[in-house]
Amino acid sequence: MARFNSTEELRQMRRILYDHTDHERPRVVVCAGTACHSSGSNDIIRVAKRHILENGLADKVSVRVTGCHGFCEMGPFILTEPQSAFYAQVKLGDVPRIIDALLAGQYVEELLYADSATGERYHRREDIPFFKNQKRSILSQNQKMDPIRIHDYIAQGGYEALEKALAFGQPEKVVEEVKMSGLRGRGGAGFPTGLKWEFLAARTGDEGKFLICNADEGDPGAYMDRSVLEGNPHSVIEGMIIGGYGTGASEGVVYVRNEYPLAIKNLTVALRQAREHGLLGENILGSGFSFDISIVKGAGAFVCGEETALIRSIEGKMGEPRQRPPFPIQRGVNGKPTVINNVETWANIPLVFLMGAKEYAKVGAENNSGTKIFSLVGKIRNTGLVEVPMGTTIKQIVYDIGGGSPGKARIKAVQTGGPSGGCIPADQFDLPVDYDSLSRAGSIMGSGGMIVMDENTCIVDVARYFMDFLKKESCGKCFTCRKGTQRMYELLDDIASGRGTLEHISLLEELALVVKDTTMCGLGQTASNPVLSSLRHFRREYERHVVDKKCDAFVCRGLVGAPCQSACPLDTQPWRYIALLEKGNLEEAYSVIRETNPLPSVCARVCDRKCEQRCQMGVGGGEPVAIRALKRFVTDRFDPAAHKPERKQIAKNKIGKVAVIGAGPAGLSAAHNLSLLGHKVAIFEAGRALGGMLTSCIPAYRLPRDILYREMNALIDDNVSVEFGKKLGKDLTIDNLFSKGHKAVFLAMGADKSQRLSLEGETLQGVYTSMEFLKAFNLRGEELAGGHVGIIGGGNSAVDAARVAMRQENVESVTLIYRRTDQEMPAYAEEVEAALEEGIQLKTLVSPVKIRYIDTAEKEGVKVHKGVTAVKIHSHGGRLVGIECVKNQSGEMDSSGRRKPVPVPGSEFKISLNTLIVAIGESPDSACLAEMGLKLDKSGRVEVDARTLATSREGVFAGGDLVTGPYTVVDALAAGKKAAKIIDRYLRGEEMIEPRAPMLPDVYIEPSEIDPSDFENAERAEPELIPAEARRKNFREVENALSLEQATAEARRCLRCDLEFTRGARKEAETEGAKDVHI
Amino acid sequence: MKQETTAEMQKGREATEMIDEEVLERIIGKHAEKLGGLIATLEEIQRHCGYLPEEALRMVAAKTGSSLVDVYAVATFYSYFSLKPRGKHLITVCLGTACHVRGAARVVDEFERQLGIEPGETTPDKEFTLETVNCLGACALGPVVVVDGRYHSKVGKSKVKELIEGAISGDRADIDIDDGRIFPLDVNCPRCNRSLMDAKNEIDGYPSVRAIVAGARGHGLLRLSSLYGSRVTACEADILDGEETKMLCPHCHESLVVEQDCIECGAAMAAMMIKGGGKALVCSRRGCGGHMLDLG
Repeated sequence: MARFNSTEELRQMRRILYDHTDHERPRVVVCAGTACHSSGSNDIIRVAKRHILENGLADKVSVRVTGCHGFCEMGPFILTEPQSAFYAQVKLGDVPRIIDALLAGQYVEELLYADSATGERYHRREDIPFFKNQKRSILSQNQKMDPIRIHDYIAQGGYEALEKALAFGQPEKVVEEVKMSGLRGRGGAGFPTGLKWEFLAARTGDEGKFLICNADEGDPGAYMDRSVLEGNPHSVIEGMIIGGYGTGASEGVVYVRNEYPLAIKNLTVALRQAREHGLLGENILGSGFSFDISIVKGAGAFVCGEETALIRSIEGKMGEPRQRPPFPIQRGVNGKPTVINNVETWANIPLVFLMGAKEYAKVGAENNSGTKIFSLVGKIRNTGLVEVPMGTTIKQIVYDIGGGSPGKARIKAVQTGGPSGGCIPADQFDLPVDYDSLSRAGSIMGSGGMIVMDENTCIVDVARYFMDFLKKESCGKCFTCRKGTQRMYELLDDIASGRGTLEHISLLEELALVVKDTTMCGLGQTASNPVLSSLRHFRREYERHVVDKKCDAFVCRGLVGAPCQSACPLDTQPWRYIALLEKGNLEEAYSVIRETNPLPSVCARVCDRKCEQRCQMGVGGGEPVAIRALKRFVTDRFDPAAHKPERKQIAKNKIGKVAVIGAGPAGLSAAHNLSLLGHKVAIFEAGRALGGMLTSCIPAYRLPRDILYREMNALIDDNVSVEFGKKLGKDLTIDNLFSKGHKAVFLAMGADKSQRLSLEGETLQGVYTSMEFLKAFNLRGEELAGGHVGIIGGGNSAVDAARVAMRQENVESVTLIYRRTDQEMPAYAEEVEAALEEGIQLKTLVSPVKIRYIDTAEKEGVKVHKGVTAVKIHSHGGRLVGIECVKNQSGEMDSSGRRKPVPVPGSEFKISLNTLIVAIGESPDSACLAEMGLKLDKSGRVEVDARTLATSREGVFAGGDLVTGPYTVVDALAAGKKAAKIIDRYLRGEEMIEPRAPMLPDVYIEPSEIDPSDFENAERAEPELIPAEARRKNFREVENALSLEQATAEARRCLRCDLEFTRGARKEAETEGAKDVHI
Repeated sequence: MKQETTAEMQKGREATEMIDEEVLERIIGKHAEKLGGLIATLEEIQRHCGYLPEEALRMVAAKTGSSLVDVYAVATFYSYFSLKPRGKHLITVCLGTACHVRGAARVVDEFERQLGIEPGETTPDKEFTLETVNCLGACALGPVVVVDGRYHSKVGKSKVKELIEGAISGDRADIDIDDGRIFPLDVNCPRCNRSLMDAKNEIDGYPSVRAIVAGARGHGLLRLSSLYGSRVTACEADILDGEETKMLCPHCHESLVVEQDCIECGAAMAAMMIKGGGKALVCSRRGCGGHMLDLG
């Protein structure tokens, strides 16, 4: 092979290569990096070659096999040139079509990459948001070359930087250039590279100085170094040659992990080719300067990322760090002065010389020049390698490039820097990513791992994971690191397993600080970071684990038990009644349901089904068990009056008298549970009916009234009395309840005061709040809607109002108007769908700017522009005729992880309406409570101690929507139940807070033998809805019940997560002296 | 890649019980005086034997003049090394952070349950070894599981059974011409342009490719499978394993070897022109199997 004896010969070769390349020639580019290879890209390459050969296309189209492009989740993919079309997740059979289309200058539209959020397809890769929002100086080179062909690299300007460096003539000028570029080490600590080089160059007396490329990328979750080394090994080699020239080092070593076989292979080939071309070895390019590089393979030890440990490992010894000084720059490999930089740093060196230091320094942020590659992984839509200028914000990386959360769960934090790093919570995503900002925020840049965590990622579990990693990787030299990481792991494991106490947290924190202060190397000094930073930002989550024994991410199994049970605010045991149903034991199934839930038939219809959201059947992409429908199947068969939990017998002198304000779900649940505990309860209800929101708001087609009343009436027993028409603040006060002998008061008046738009004209005739509208109909049968009806809002009450309006006599059309997209509507998706089926129109991303009021007289024949004048004549009075709206577009992410609606100027338009219903939320009608000495928050919600529901007044408790704002039925029932337990303890004079234990399945039910083939084909049983035409103008219940066959088959789909807990307990009891099982 | 890895491991397993002193000396000699020599030596022994037998460690200590303690220290410090024999099938579950947050721990649990062993252990029937690794750098595809050198992405609990069964049944569609991945080539000599195809002697059910090979002990005919992707050969000449050969056209007797190195082993490659364009390259080193299909 041709050896270049001078820079001129190299230049000449580059020119020849360039001139002989047809730059417009169609090319199929396929990545064969580790990730794409495991997705099957090799087969794609074979099929492409076969198609080309068999059809004689070899002179028309080429195939280029390259390293990683970064968008690994989309592999295997085909990129076409010169089109730049990006076909993602290509199937073997698609390859010939793609090649034929390329040759015809066309696209295979349906195979082009489509954004999974918007469905939009792109013709050019550059327009895809994932790529568009990056600045790919390093990564973009990978697509242009086959890493095993040095000519590809040379043709792309490879080794031109080396020419330029040699042309400086003096090594110190090369070092100066690197210093001027401001390049800082990409391995984590961010030490200025030029300065390091200067130190090494200054050691003039020493022969045989070393340069090391650290490719031991040990941070789990980071793989940018692998991609660079695999896809563009020559850039690293060129960087090291320049480094050798600048510093006077004669030998280079690439220390690469054994887990990266392809990187080792490509680097080996690249080194051989460079040597053959006279770019390595003696007298490089005839300059008189000699330098060579060898590969040393690591054998799997995280600590070898630490420089002194790495040096020992290179020497073939155990990778234990040693005390510094002497620093490697003084005593490194074999005692010789040594400079260590990581892969990405070396790959940046050619860029510095190609661009010139001054230009290079312009990229990025102050003191943080250049770009940085991050591996954006975890709970993110677009997973892959992302290269951005330093100083880009986390928000831009996570949302603009990463596309945000892949599912509905909100992103709560990113973890940067691997096991030595920390987490940054979502409310700090405006943080620019550079060395200094990250370290101020309590994390580090590290090598660039960026792991996204959402609500389903448990912070304690992640900390435990890192500590488990670190305790295994601690080399053991320092006692505090060896034992400290072990003990921290044990503490975290206790917390995650339900054995934790508040003392665990304080001990953990203390220990973390001790380890940080008393260890020698970087591993030990940063080992506490995952603990300290998660405690700093997510202490509440730790406390939930130790105090409430809850893991809200449903990760810590010792706390979660059966997810369906853990998800239920009432602690209902779906696994248990489903197992009983499957066995045909419906009566016991009903008892299990009724045990925890006073209104099971209601919940079987209107519950928001937190259990189904957590069902393990649904977690792996399948469909969760239809738990609510099964509950209905059971509850439909029993009379609530005949099946009641037993009442507790208590001593007469312990019986208390409790006043409950409000007969909604929270009040009824509290009264019923207090009655079961033996107390006397008086309910005071302002209205004329039981049920609160259940009767006034939820329409009969969702919740038939006979079922509702039958179940509620069954709760009123000889311990419970109800007085209607008694409103707190008007007919009674807290003081006079106490003076009448009540020992405690439970406030559960709900939240039924509708919020307003704060627009002029809301008091017009024809404009109602959703509460006014629904109450008028549900309680009094009045039909307020007529003609064209508009409803503003996207929640359940907006949809309820829309569907009730649709059923009213004089209504012609109904339109829902919502300011965000339909994916972000808080209403249950099934209700929205049902509403659309019934003929309701939906306009999303639209928010009303002003209610257009025009005098009836003016309306006739008068054309009105934009409504500005109309607002001014508002005081004339009259009827509503329509509203003016402005269109919105999705803006940047707000702290809730949803995009803000931003009005588009000039997009205002009008909608003619006869009725407008405002359904943008409710708040408690609680002004009178402030007068009675209770603390309220800004929205009028009563402030309580979350653990006891105690208000600021002794003996007064509150729960339900009054405390939470509008929320779900099941949560209100749970609040009432919790209040009953706490009031009981209060009346007995006991400590109100009861230490909680994890709610784990405790009853063993023998699983049935199920034929696996039945199970695999079973689909989720969906209750049938009566046809839309049959329900539009009436209030029949829309959802039908499951049949016996359907219900039994559905129950068999249950994975029986309970068995993991109950089977073990049963076995242990059976076999004596069962051995301890350690996790 | 995949086939070679498994072949290599197979070779290792057969040699498991016996570590030949001659082989060991060759390995030690190869890495002596080099940076990282001891680690590289142990790595190659492990590749050869599948693990590090005690006998081999003693021999390394004796031959390199180091103390057994130092050799043992290195062998136990790095997670890559195993002092216990491993099973026929190696299952490695990645426990990198990205895989962890996507539920890799549950995948490990499921393997533990189904195989009845913990990570680091081998089933009593020596069929399976279960291991975990800190990160394989395929983070976008997590959880990642490697079974016998083959990567599987986005593995959930429900896929575990399939992977175990796949490993037992081989899970290798070796020669399957129908799916388009493996196909026959028709090649000519780049010097005289005459066909190198031998229709009379089929390999893999297709005409074979013919060339003359010459090594230190003599020369003879070499027939290669014309299926791109198949590594089946038939050789009449007495060639040493690992020997770099001369490859000649059977018609013009000109050398087929060109100035291009094998990416697997660095030896020179022989080039043949493909009818339809491009060239096929095969490694001239006996037993390497490196090949390329170069369409320019």
